[in-house]
Amino acid sequence: MTTEPSSTSFPPPEPLYITGWGVLSPLGDGADEFSDAVVEGRTALTDVSSMFEEELPGDQAYALAEFRVRDYLGRKGTSFFDRSTALALVASDRALKDTELVVTDDNRDQVGLVLGTTTGSIKSTSDYSRETLTQRRPYLVNPVLFPNTVMNCAAGQAAIWHKLKGVNATIAGGQLAGLSALRYACRTLRWEDAEALLVGAVEEFSPHTAWATHLATSPVPAGEGAAVFVLETAAAVADSGRRADAEVLAVELATADPERGTEAAAEVFAQCIRRALRVAGVSADELWAVAPGSTAAGRIETAALAAVLGPAEPVRLNVAELVGECHAASGALQIAAVLAHHRSNPTLDGCPALVTSATREGTVGAAVIRGWHRDRGDHGQ
Amino acid sequence: MRRRVVITGLGPVSSVGIGTEEFATALQQGESGISPISSFDATGFPHRMAGEVPAFDPKQMLEHLDPREWGRTSLFAAAAARLAVQDSGIDPAALSRARAGSSIGTTSGESQVIEELTAQWVAGSLKDLDPALIRATPASRLAVAVNRELGLTGEALTLSTACSASNYALGHAYATLATGEADYMIAGGADSVCRWAHAGFYRLGALTEFVCSPFDRDRSGILTGEGGAALFLEPLESAERRGARIYAEVLGYGLNCDASHMVAPDPVSIAECMRRAHRKAGIDAAQVDYICAHGTGTPANDAMETQAVLEVFGPKPPPISSIKSMLGHTMGAASGFGAIASALGIARQFIPPTINFRTPDPQMPGIDPVAGVARPARLRVVQNNGFAFGGNNAITILGEVA
Repeated sequence: MTTEPSSTSFPPPEPLYITGWGVLSPLGDGADEFSDAVVEGRTALTDVSSMFEEELPGDQAYALAEFRVRDYLGRKGTSFFDRSTALALVASDRALKDTELVVTDDNRDQVGLVLGTTTGSIKSTSDYSRETLTQRRPYLVNPVLFPNTVMNCAAGQAAIWHKLKGVNATIAGGQLAGLSALRYACRTLRWEDAEALLVGAVEEFSPHTAWATHLATSPVPAGEGAAVFVLETAAAVADSGRRADAEVLAVELATADPERGTEAAAEVFAQCIRRALRVAGVSADELWAVAPGSTAAGRIETAALAAVLGPAEPVRLNVAELVGECHAASGALQIAAVLAHHRSNPTLDGCPALVTSATREGTVGAAVIRGWHRDRGDHGQ
Repeated sequence: MRRRVVITGLGPVSSVGIGTEEFATALQQGESGISPISSFDATGFPHRMAGEVPAFDPKQMLEHLDPREWGRTSLFAAAAARLAVQDSGIDPAALSRARAGSSIGTTSGESQVIEELTAQWVAGSLKDLDPALIRATPASRLAVAVNRELGLTGEALTLSTACSASNYALGHAYATLATGEADYMIAGGADSVCRWAHAGFYRLGALTEFVCSPFDRDRSGILTGEGGAALFLEPLESAERRGARIYAEVLGYGLNCDASHMVAPDPVSIAECMRRAHRKAGIDAAQVDYICAHGTGTPANDAMETQAVLEVFGPKPPPISSIKSMLGHTMGAASGFGAIASALGIARQFIPPTINFRTPDPQMPGIDPVAGVARPARLRVVQNNGFAFGGNNAITILGEVA
């Protein structure tokens, strides 16, 4: 269906490396805690019945039930942060602490952020919209909270918090947001728009997302979390003699219109995965693991993976079983889960893994990454 | 090796006209697209004007999508993309078989869908929400709508960097083509007028009552607007091969972040973004013949934007006009409309005007806003500004194909 590149004169893309990462999830705060939980196979399911005044579809969900931003970032300047913003800020803080990249006045205009989302903080937006209907006058909304209604709020606040003056992009991708953000970040680094990027995705848990997930008949309840990776060029890593946690070998995206039928959509998805493997120079039987995406597009994804993998039997990392339906954060948490296994396991060093994602609307993606372990205490300074 | 990238199709769905000819005529004549708000009940709001597109009829424009299954903003994006492809003259069947995708910018995504769900919540409870509306909510659907309308199998990227998002999208599409990762791209943006933005801008003191008058001494704010803006991009070689009409070349872009304040613009950072865009496009400031301004019409934006322009261009900058005087602030589509206006200006040799301009601002010396109607001019290089909440600055540079 898709024709091959019209020109073969383009050089192979420059290698890109993850030099540190951070997660905030019910499974853990920071890469080490999260890694331990993922390797043990712990689930994030918890009692959420006292989190909100509004009724929830169930007492159990994959949420940070006790989360208060001030416990993580202090009181100063944090009181108006919505939950998405707070989660993204904490995860990016953990990522910066996990890498040896140092952001100073000399490089902060070359360090940026690419953050994936579904629709920003839907609670902020919907609550704001609600005020226009329920206040005595429709305009009696709080102007201080207005920036929380734009989808780039978390990225903008993270830039302010960490003083990152480079490219600052927000990608609305739903379940594909993590892979879309990673692809955008790879393109941005190779285009020399930045020297290093924090790239990741965030999703908050709220009554709105809980009900939306439930009413969309998701097989697992809603979750929340943020995962952020520090992505740098090979040159930057080599010049400073630093080590990497992972190499991003390929990220490919496609659109597989579900209206054309499961079979046709699965074929487009399979082609996308094959393209990613080809770009990565990896064959299916070399993969040590596959981390498939969310539950939303299950049949198409399953069929595409079966077509590509054939007899190969890599380990299946079913991340949604651990973290719930995390929508935009799903893909980033899948990558984090792959790196979690690498983190303390030298036998996996250099082995490639495949991460796939899909949305109900038909956007699909595949990434191939290979990771290396860290010795405990081998942290960024 | 990097391929040169050109714009060969335009798709404006705007309050001053739908399609290239209507839009170009409106720009040249300085028409206003502002009208009393009809897309929501504005009773109780002190200000009740906006740049809506009441003439938008997705059923008439779309060939594949079922308008009942998509929100207004996705439909704006898909209709604009359909127009841009028609304008480009490319065979749609060949396009759908090619390596083609889209990148679409937005501020508020499917804001009207979210407002309808919120109304259901107010009337009942969250468990009563309509699942069909929930499915229509994700902002990612904007680019997906474009790809599904056109049968494209490449990437569908929705960039939600607020009011500079179209420039982010255009920059991404350009780089994707230049590096050979795709052979055709649709870039642009879309947004819909909604209650919450109207209320929020009013409460920020940024909303004017009747007339948006950028760069005027007495300017008093924005009017919210809506629409869809799409540009069809391909490598120069491909455009020449198929004998396509070329509007303009994309020369480069610059992105940065103020990292200082969510709402207040930072002129130092904006100036740095301009320099970055010039550097990436391989031009000097002196080569810029026209600046298509962000020009929202708020006292703060226009003053800060002018300050940055004067810093980068010196005391005699090129003409700088704001099409927001005509369209209102179309949010995530704004710099997409700016790119369309810039491309038209280059191709048809005119500078789009700033309408409603009466009195120069003594605080902004040296500014030539091209008041009233378009001015004939040969434009070799145009700078298209986009700034946003979150300090997300994005500037694209377009030029005549030399």
